[in-house]
Amino acid sequence: MTESNFKRFVEVGRVVLLKSGPHAGSIAVITEIIDHNRAMIDGPTTNVPRQSYPYKHLTLTPFSLTKLPRAAGSGIVKKHLEKENVVEKWNKSSWAQKRAAVEKRRSLNDFATFNVMLAKKQRVDVVRKALAKAKKA
Amino acid sequence: MARSKELVPGVGRLSRSQVFAARALYKGPKKSVQPAAEVPADHVEKSIGGEKNGGKRLVPTTKAPRFYPAEDVRQPKKSRKTPKPPSLRTSITPGTILILLAGRYRGKRVVFLKQLTSGLLLVTGPYKINGVPLRRVNQAYVIATSTKVDVSGLQVDEKFNDAYFAKPSVKSASSAEEEFFEEGKPKAKEPLAASKAADQKEVDNALLASIKKTENLSKYLKASWGLSKGQFPHQLVF
Amino acid sequence: MGLQEFQVVGRHLATESDPTPKIYRMRIFAPNEVVAKSRFWYFLRKLKKVKKANGEIIGVNVIHEKKPLKEKNFGIWLRYDSRSGTHNMYKEFRDLSRADAVKSLYQDMAARHRARFRSIHILRVVEVEKTEDLRRPYIKQLLVPNLKFPLPHRVTKFRSTFVAHRPVTF
Repeated sequence: MTESNFKRFVEVGRVVLLKSGPHAGSIAVITEIIDHNRAMIDGPTTNVPRQSYPYKHLTLTPFSLTKLPRAAGSGIVKKHLEKENVVEKWNKSSWAQKRAAVEKRRSLNDFATFNVMLAKKQRVDVVRKALAKAKKA
Repeated sequence: MARSKELVPGVGRLSRSQVFAARALYKGPKKSVQPAAEVPADHVEKSIGGEKNGGKRLVPTTKAPRFYPAEDVRQPKKSRKTPKPPSLRTSITPGTILILLAGRYRGKRVVFLKQLTSGLLLVTGPYKINGVPLRRVNQAYVIATSTKVDVSGLQVDEKFNDAYFAKPSVKSASSAEEEFFEEGKPKAKEPLAASKAADQKEVDNALLASIKKTENLSKYLKASWGLSKGQFPHQLVF
Repeated sequence: MGLQEFQVVGRHLATESDPTPKIYRMRIFAPNEVVAKSRFWYFLRKLKKVKKANGEIIGVNVIHEKKPLKEKNFGIWLRYDSRSGTHNMYKEFRDLSRADAVKSLYQDMAARHRARFRSIHILRVVEVEKTEDLRRPYIKQLLVPNLKFPLPHRVTKFRSTFVAHRPVTF
């Protein structure tokens, strides 16, 4: 194949993030390409049942299962996912962590949000003082 | 019409035939024997003085009106509505921190104490923290947060009822001058009754002790609440 | 919305001269049972001397896909009436079920030929199991080994909650 500037491809084994539907926010794996609009996905470790999903509602992640055969069953997909530690890798990625942080911040109640505000103020104060000290020196 | 509850004045819930079936008139006329009410005598015999007056006369007990009304006065319709007993949102329990949305103290976070019989909520700032006194508020103008203050040690006195907060009726002054001025000077402000100030203190002291136990909670109560740019209340978690 | 595959069974009404008339069975793609029965009479009228007035439907069942989570390639033979004449056609589709493939066929015919449901007869729907037997390049291209392609021009839709938004149309 010729050189491509693209880094992420629709391919069997590609880990995708679901953008809409009841499983929005969880990751799954492309098990087979149906056509240029949708693919079969499966997420046995993330509670996503096998289903066809349009690319419009997917985002490609940089992860992929390198040795997943075409049209693999859920059991094989699970084996590969666990072997390559994809879920853990995903959770460690800054993308997932940012998402988790946003989610966490949204779920905080009024008092907790207030506490976050206080903590931020404290942090700013420390930074400001240190900066002033450094400038003087 | 008693069986057929009125949907709108003049239109019953049941049709004529349904009412007929329900009343069971086809079984024959109903016989209900009512105890004969004692009919008060409509005339009283009175003895009249004077020779030529016959000695006695029958006088009607209720005097007939001297005039008949020239115009028919419509009888006002009787209202069959009764006020429902007040209900309380399930998210509000004693000790819940509420955000006031209307009135003089809008934006303040206050502590809920109890619901009064009128349905209004008894809240306090506490006064020492954010300046909100013991006060009644309508629960419609309140956001209930999930944060709660421990009020197990607090006994809310029975005297805090609707009458406690009612405004004393004062005879209206005869003139505006008299209402606002005294001896050519503006009237001095009436100080708060000492008993009310004491009541406030008593309630707050118990609350302040439990508020102190949680870090930042008193700061939280002191800060007021508001929406900033890009914030929408339906997306917030309280 | 979607189509279902029905099995409709019917026959001519029993008469004195023929007490046991021949029973006919059809597999019909239709949105619901009512349309399925109607299409059954439509086709039977064309094929045999039986019509709704002198016939009866014995049973209608839904045929479910055996493996609705497996991708299959379907070859569909059809006949459709265009504005100028009648044509036979063969098309291939890649889908999860026969009914889905037929649904895509109707969409495709509507798009390319402005053909309506009423002017299309589905003749045969067959699952093509061997890749070599596939004829159409637009399906063959999806079956090359190690197929991969990027998703270029991904437009992220961002909608603020209340602000009016003028659409961008390029």
